Amino acid sequence: MERSPLGQTLLVQALAVLTGLVAGAVLIWLTGGDPILAYGGLWEGSLGRAASVSETLVWATPYILAGLAVGLAFRGGLFNIGAEGQLSVGALVSAWVGFAVQGVPWPLHLPLALGAGALAGAAWAGLAGWLKARTGAHEVITTIMLNYVALLGTGYLLSGLLKDPSPFVIVAQTPKVLESARIPALFADLRVHWGLVLALALAAGCWWLLFRSTIGFAIRTVGLNPSAARYAGISVSGTVVLTMALSGALAGLAGAVEVLGVNYYHTPGFSVGYGFDSIAVALLGKSHPLGVIPAALLFGALRAGATRMQFVSQIPIDVISIVQGIILLLVAADELVRRVYRIGGRRPAVSAERAAEGTVARSWGRAE
Amino acid sequence: MPRLRILVPVLVVTMLAVACSSASTLAPTSVPAKPAETKPAASPATAASPATAASPSTAASPAASPAAASASPAASPGASPGASPAAAASPAAAAAKRLRVGLVTDVGKVDDKSFNQSAWEGVQRAQRELGAEVKFLETTDPKDYAKNIDQFAQDNYDVIVTVGFAIGQATQEAAVKYRNVRFIGVDQFQEKTVDNVSGLIFDEDKAGYLAGALAGLLTQSGTVGAVLGTDLVPPVVKFGKGYEAGAKAVKPDIKVLMAYHPGGLARGFTDPDWGKATTTQMIQQQADVIFGAGGNTGNGALLGALERNVLAIGVDTDQWETLPQVRPVLVSSAMKLITPGVFDLIKATGDGSIKAGNQVGQVGLAPFHDNDSKVPAAAKERLQQIDAGLKNGSIRTGVTLP
Repeated sequence: MERSPLGQTLLVQALAVLTGLVAGAVLIWLTGGDPILAYGGLWEGSLGRAASVSETLVWATPYILAGLAVGLAFRGGLFNIGAEGQLSVGALVSAWVGFAVQGVPWPLHLPLALGAGALAGAAWAGLAGWLKARTGAHEVITTIMLNYVALLGTGYLLSGLLKDPSPFVIVAQTPKVLESARIPALFADLRVHWGLVLALALAAGCWWLLFRSTIGFAIRTVGLNPSAARYAGISVSGTVVLTMALSGALAGLAGAVEVLGVNYYHTPGFSVGYGFDSIAVALLGKSHPLGVIPAALLFGALRAGATRMQFVSQIPIDVISIVQGIILLLVAADELVRRVYRIGGRRPAVSAERAAEGTVARSWGRAE
Repeated sequence: MPRLRILVPVLVVTMLAVACSSASTLAPTSVPAKPAETKPAASPATAASPATAASPSTAASPAASPAAASASPAASPGASPGASPAAAASPAAAAAKRLRVGLVTDVGKVDDKSFNQSAWEGVQRAQRELGAEVKFLETTDPKDYAKNIDQFAQDNYDVIVTVGFAIGQATQEAAVKYRNVRFIGVDQFQEKTVDNVSGLIFDEDKAGYLAGALAGLLTQSGTVGAVLGTDLVPPVVKFGKGYEAGAKAVKPDIKVLMAYHPGGLARGFTDPDWGKATTTQMIQQQADVIFGAGGNTGNGALLGALERNVLAIGVDTDQWETLPQVRPVLVSSAMKLITPGVFDLIKATGDGSIKAGNQVGQVGLAPFHDNDSKVPAAAKERLQQIDAGLKNGSIRTGVTLP
């Protein structure tokens, strides 16, 4: 199958999103709601005001990081379903460093907390990578199983060892992280914080790593064809572990910025779903580090706007999840969108020569 | 078909991911504040039918005071959560100013047949009886607590009801920010009083006392049992000690078997197998009434009682509704009456008599439903006396926590 040019890919993605929104509107109408009112609320709550834009960016920040995590693994031919678990491990460890390490000035404390979260995520995912490299255990299975270990394990620690000791706190949550470990806000009175800048910088960094560095070349080669990579002298098992660790570090950071930038504590139930949504974000962004950003913004906008949508129209918040599901379905099965809108996937490309290597439909990190 | 090679893993993995995510939302949350958090047979997400308004909590409970027992008529269709509140102008809106009441759930839905639903029913009652304008927001992520409260506060709502302990801190912070709004925190113990926050809390020992009295009045063998969540959570201990005291009050020579889950916070509320096994042991030791209090652990006890056809008493909400499969043996439940509690506080806001700080709501036994015939008339009379005594202070449970 020939490659599609960048423009066509973008068109197909945009049509997938649009179709998802239209299908959502029909659904809202069918359940007795007013789609115009609902989408008006969605707009108002996601982009309509400064505070709404801020909320969209707050939601998008972990999505960017977790989307990068999943996308990077895709590029290396690995399916990291474990972002959810890596995220919660990263969140827990960064929260722990945030409240337990005391008397350290913020220029040291904050990077320490962030780094600890990233490291924890890297270790958690690296474990799955190591299992694959050493024993051939499939990473889909191991990361899913490690999700349970991570989520229930953090739940256990949050209810016991790391629980806020205050007798008035009867739910499982950590104490608040100290001021010195908190990510400062970008603007006064808005919640969007410097974690966003970090996420954007890391997206650029991932692009550089994948497409401009030797390590990235190794990752992509192993992803495309492990046998060829081995023949070319690349250590496949080493690359697999490294890819998973890098992926886990990004996912761990996604959890860390949520704790250090928004919530200031960790609790089980928080962060549920990010890891899985991030698979969708990576797919929508075609596993390209720069493609992940608009995809994350879209998902962030949908999540942030859901509150206002619910408020003005009293539509159940689940509708948003359904719209997201439809979009994901259409993105994954983009042939469907091409057929419906008669976009010639098989006709010669319009400006094929500049089709960025990374933006083509190679979502699974393998040659088609 | 090269496309096919791609689609198959997409589908497989998406299904796996969905399975994981649904499991993960249920698994790790052991929220002691809401022990009765069971998901009953899947109910349509929003289509909380008007029938739900004929709520378990507002329905006349055998031992409740008249105030709590004023069974409200089935809601008008306008009161269903899906309907636009603006369209539901109640004829009862005699007040000059329409009270505007918003409700924010913790991570849960208004049709969860548990705390969120009971609180929302209290708000809906305010809509019917006080002509209030009402609306709810369901939270999906803890970071949205403040944002969801803001939606109502910035729209100049008069009262904002927040449900559950977890949203308590966000409630306190919002209260400082919006001094003109009255906040009602369901199940939120107020550590320090904020002028415009009223925390609705409950005397679990009294609820347990009523359950114990019922058990004591029903037992033939002279032995009753209580299967409880972890004793690390004070409300659970209050339920347990109250139960023991209540049983001994009606039958001084009674033998009360008590078991707290040994697994701490992590397992205490999520271990139905242990609940069931413990219940079986108690039944083998002649217990013929079982009180199950502790989330899914307690539910396991009720199921164990069902297996051996032994009478059971549920907890928190009317478990006739939340755990329908145990109906054959479920004689009642020790309820926190959230619906009237929320309604009373909204009403008090309307007439200006509301007070800040901890407000103790009423507790009571759930209706006996189909097992009404198993409770002798004399026992019902005795329960009513005890309930009245607990309310007017002439009966004390004697439960104190260190």
